[in-house]
Amino acid sequence: MIDELISQAGKVSADEVDHLLELRWKLRQYDDAEGTIKLFCDVRLRMEQRHYLAFFRMRRWLENHLLASVSICPEAKPQFVPVKLDHYCVEAIRRASLCFALRRGYVLLAPRLRFTFREVELRKGTFSGAPSRSLEPAEL
Amino acid sequence: MSISTAKSPVAVHKEPKIVDGLNLVLADSYALMALTHLAHWNVEGSDFFPLHKIFQEQYENLFEAVDEIAERVRALDAYAIGGLGVLAKAAEMEEFKSPLPQKDYVAALIVAHEKVIDDAVRTRNEAGTAGDLQTQDLMIKRLQWHEKTLWMFKSYLKN
Repeated sequence: MIDELISQAGKVSADEVDHLLELRWKLRQYDDAEGTIKLFCDVRLRMEQRHYLAFFRMRRWLENHLLASVSICPEAKPQFVPVKLDHYCVEAIRRASLCFALRRGYVLLAPRLRFTFREVELRKGTFSGAPSRSLEPAEL
Repeated sequence: MSISTAKSPVAVHKEPKIVDGLNLVLADSYALMALTHLAHWNVEGSDFFPLHKIFQEQYENLFEAVDEIAERVRALDAYAIGGLGVLAKAAEMEEFKSPLPQKDYVAALIVAHEKVIDDAVRTRNEAGTAGDLQTQDLMIKRLQWHEKTLWMFKSYLKN
């Protein structure tokens, strides 16, 4: 998807290509979920109106691969909630994830929230849900 | 030709791969119909009227299509799959929840149409290889409609 966007000569500026390449690199690294979301929000804000379908596909992919790890206080075992990329800024997404945790009935005393990749937590054994079913990062 | 050597024209076409392919396209089409219906009900925004109307035309088309596909399965002397749970499981289509922004309904339906197209292409090719021209023709007809729908949806999303 990102490669397809990059290859659209005349429809993507040099600056946008730089950002897309950085996003692709982050997705292939697969270790900085927070940075990935920040960069995605930035690129999305710049380009989505001209490339709506491509960004919809990226959003779907990210939502399938990201989790928010919420701890009710710093020492508590984290609970995982899905990440919805309905907003264009990472703090709004963080707040929405906290609200989702609250709706699930978690009592948040001094909440800590960090974004993470589903497969990373599965490998660590901290998350036991289903693995993501969409494309591998290299295919995005 | 004696009775013992006569070959039923239906038996020639009753390839398990074709029946499985048709049942998969049936499940896909049913799942897509349900998603399109959901979009028809819940779409909101400045494009409500055209989207509400086009979604209705599409789920009506799909309703007729599932009947035609199921009847083709029966014509091949096999049985059509059915029941919401069975169809959803077979289709494995990514579902969406409402409410969504109006453009997201269109984008999500594009993804769903692409899944139907993938499965219909495979079934068309299997039918072609087996010489089952009726199934091949049905799949071509369905593909033409899905591809036209994709073209319209993608045009809508272009800014």
